[in-house]
Amino acid sequence: MSTEPEKLLVVEDLTTTFATPGGPLPAVGGISFNINKNETLGIVGESGSGKTVLSRTIMGLQPRTNVTVTGSVLLNGHQIVGASENEKRKYWGIDVAMVFQDPMTSLNPVMRIGKQIDESLRVRLGMSREAAKARAIELLELVGIPSPERRYSAYPGQLSGGMRQRVVIAIALACSPKLLMADEPTTGLDVTIQAQILNLIDELKERLHMSVILVTHDLGVVATRTSRIIVMYAGRIVEIGDTREVFTNHRMPYTRALLESSPKVTNPSHTRLIAIPGRPPNLMKLSAGCSFAPRCAYATERCHQERPELQSSGAPGHFFACWNPLPASQGAPTS
Amino acid sequence: MLKYVTRRLLMLIGIVFVISIGSFYLIHLLPGNPATVIAGVGATPEYTAKLYKLLGLNRPIYEQYFIWMGNVLHGNLGTSFISQTSVTSVIGAALPIDVEIIVLSQIIAFATAIPMAMRSSRRPDGPLDRVLGASSFTLLSIPPFVVIVMLVLLISIKLGVPHTGPSSYVSLGTDWVANLESLALPAFTLAIGSFVVYYRVLRSDLIATLQEEFITLARSKGISQRRIMWRHAFRPSSVALLGTAGVNIGGLLASGFIVQYLLAIPGLGYTLITAIFNSDYLLVQGIVFVVSVGVVLINFTFDFIINIVDPRISRE
Repeated sequence: MSTEPEKLLVVEDLTTTFATPGGPLPAVGGISFNINKNETLGIVGESGSGKTVLSRTIMGLQPRTNVTVTGSVLLNGHQIVGASENEKRKYWGIDVAMVFQDPMTSLNPVMRIGKQIDESLRVRLGMSREAAKARAIELLELVGIPSPERRYSAYPGQLSGGMRQRVVIAIALACSPKLLMADEPTTGLDVTIQAQILNLIDELKERLHMSVILVTHDLGVVATRTSRIIVMYAGRIVEIGDTREVFTNHRMPYTRALLESSPKVTNPSHTRLIAIPGRPPNLMKLSAGCSFAPRCAYATERCHQERPELQSSGAPGHFFACWNPLPASQGAPTS
Repeated sequence: MLKYVTRRLLMLIGIVFVISIGSFYLIHLLPGNPATVIAGVGATPEYTAKLYKLLGLNRPIYEQYFIWMGNVLHGNLGTSFISQTSVTSVIGAALPIDVEIIVLSQIIAFATAIPMAMRSSRRPDGPLDRVLGASSFTLLSIPPFVVIVMLVLLISIKLGVPHTGPSSYVSLGTDWVANLESLALPAFTLAIGSFVVYYRVLRSDLIATLQEEFITLARSKGISQRRIMWRHAFRPSSVALLGTAGVNIGGLLASGFIVQYLLAIPGLGYTLITAIFNSDYLLVQGIVFVVSVGVVLINFTFDFIINIVDPRISRE
């Protein structure tokens, strides 16, 4: 690839701070990255690492009160940070759309699913009632819902979790967004349905030429479906790089710990998973040093005193934030 | 849905049956027996005994009930011993006034409570929410019989608006403008209590609904705030509102009675209170029966509306 790919999303020094009764809570701290057109980027991290807040902040979908966002998010040339709700409304659905985590709560329970898909088409694209209905049925078919004409008038409560998530995807796709944010799209689903939904997102990405941000706590999910990965810890990026590079040549001990704690098909049965000791830090009481230091086997005095900045590993696009990185090419190759 | 409605209808019949037994038995709860009451003070024992037989009170009580129930099913609630008029026709003349007052009051209450709740729930604890919260609480603590007296003092006596004072009821058939004027104060008085309840119930449900993930999803579609409020938040938030309205309207009949009596509006309430003073027990019995059935029917109707609004409820 000699030509520079076009950047769809450029995030620079993004921070999200919630005002809480106990003081400011920095949920996302100083994050920078970008996404090319037609690329899938994975964001991984434990619960509470700031993945969901990050994805909502990128969309500008954070709550309207008690939140401070600084930095810059350029989405398809539009600045999201500081934009008014009215401005962001123009980009939502068309430039960026989101697939929510839990399809049990993200659909309006008292509105027929067809109407929920129609709405974007009629309000945002100005389609007539008939055209919108026809398109909504097409979308239901596209996301693999059997007998879409009949399902069009079903209420969410009449569909299974997997079917509901397909409907959520259909809603997100209604206005052909350029960027699809999938925030743990399979966490609320049965294991057997998870792969189906992920494959569907993959397939739709190719067909509709979208970029995708896949947010997950499951490394297995991002391994084969993303071109690059961001590993987050305590609201910051601790490692970023090409998926292969991060899996085989990670330098940050947290990334290794995360890999070791997820089951692999290639492991012999009854292999013990290595849990990460301790718990994610309280974001309101972050130390001046590396947030992972209290749980890290390699931590030194410096780790507790001084926060490491992202540094290049030498491989193009691969950065990590660690004072005592693992030696290069030491990471266990994975599936 | 059909199964649900059938089941509710069967329940309704059961409830009406229980109410009918209650209202029938009411007359037997009187001291002595109905014959002594009807014959009045100073009647000869012979006359009372004759009346006792004439009224069929010597028959077993269940037989008396079935005869009474048979008549009720034919629309005959008996003939008042005091006024010698049919109870059904007296109720028939008075009931529409109650219905009109309640309908007017509910129109006022919903038309004010819904838009205000929709506005204030967008900014909980914002200035509008605080003002409405405090003032609605103040309104709630003023009883209707105080409100109506203050309104009469201000509007009928100070401002001299016609047809609004006591004993100035004009029937709908005579002059509808004057009729509206004569019912405006009672309707408004009853609306205050309903407004406060509806506003508070809807506001808190809306605040809860607006936290829901599906509201964030609706927001992420890029649709207007107005549309999110009316198309996405209102319907799932209105279940408790409708349930409360059903119960509240039953209660309004009672507050309506006091207001009617104070303004001498010849509705059911006024008729009932007059009937009690006149010891017109058959009329009391008829009104109690009709009002109880009415309350049950109103609640049934609201339950039905709730089912249409929220399809999750009737689904097993």
